Amino acid sequence: MTSSSAAAQQDVTLLELVDRVLNKGVVLTGDVTLSVADVDLVYVGLRVLLASVGTLEQLESAPR
Amino acid sequence: MTAAGGWYVYGVLLAAEATEAIFRDVAGVAGGPVTLVVDGDLAAIASEVPLSEFGEDAILENLRDPGWLEARVRAHERVLAAALHAAPVVPFRFGTIYHDEGHVREMLSAHRGLSTALVRVRGRRELGVKGFLAAVAADAEPATAEDDTSAGRRYLEEKQRARRLAEERDAQRAQWAEEAHARLAAVAEAATANALQPREVSGRDEEMFLNAAYLVATEREREFRAVVAALEAEFGPRGAHYELTGPWPPYNFVEDPA
Repeated sequence: MTSSSAAAQQDVTLLELVDRVLNKGVVLTGDVTLSVADVDLVYVGLRVLLASVGTLEQLESAPR
Repeated sequence: MTAAGGWYVYGVLLAAEATEAIFRDVAGVAGGPVTLVVDGDLAAIASEVPLSEFGEDAILENLRDPGWLEARVRAHERVLAAALHAAPVVPFRFGTIYHDEGHVREMLSAHRGLSTALVRVRGRRELGVKGFLAAVAADAEPATAEDDTSAGRRYLEEKQRARRLAEERDAQRAQWAEEAHARLAAVAEAATANALQPREVSGRDEEMFLNAAYLVATEREREFRAVVAALEAEFGPRGAHYELTGPWPPYNFVEDPA
């Protein structure tokens, strides 16, 4: 269990990072800029990433 | 004969405090060197990126690839962490790209307010605090084999009880969040409470009750950490857990300059 919780810990950090790097900070219109909808996509992608290191099992077994 | 490229901007520093040496040991989001694009008193932290990877359509496609995303997001943060170490920095959101250096300069000259934002964050760094409440044990299995009437009543009672418990927990979470936020904000220059993340996003069993960021003067960081430790000591035995992250560039405290 230790290695998978270490992996989970690693992901929390990534999530923390994504929360800031993609959601915060100065938003200026560049020649290419991401929209809010684009960023939402990232969370979909991120969920896949979290799932890839074992969180999926938790999500699936968690009572809803 | 270079492939079509763009300029990816990470954030802004005061030109007087910026040197490219700050970024000697970090690579940009596309792996190349990080450079400065200067206009007046501002310097944009930038690096060249191929439009085949960061162009309008390509970046949207790539965002769906978690491996790509993680590497680029981490690179973005490493660049800004290097900057934060050296001088005040105003971080930009991921994925701000200009077609050429000239456009980066135009952006700087059109947003002189960035200088004000830089003054505001001088000597201060962002710290993040999340509060979690330990998951409650699953309710005991309802007893089996009952006649229909008592089973029906029992079901309703169970439902009511569950709702009451949930309300109590919500109230408690809100109270703990308020308490923690007030105590932490008291040692910060600015504070912001963000939306809570559901378990699916946080990837944890615990329920999040606080998701906040604080702009803290560097000389008060120790004091701030002590407040987090005090909260943990006080509320930990009752199931609360606090997570401190940072110092971060002040992502949560840079208002969009007009």
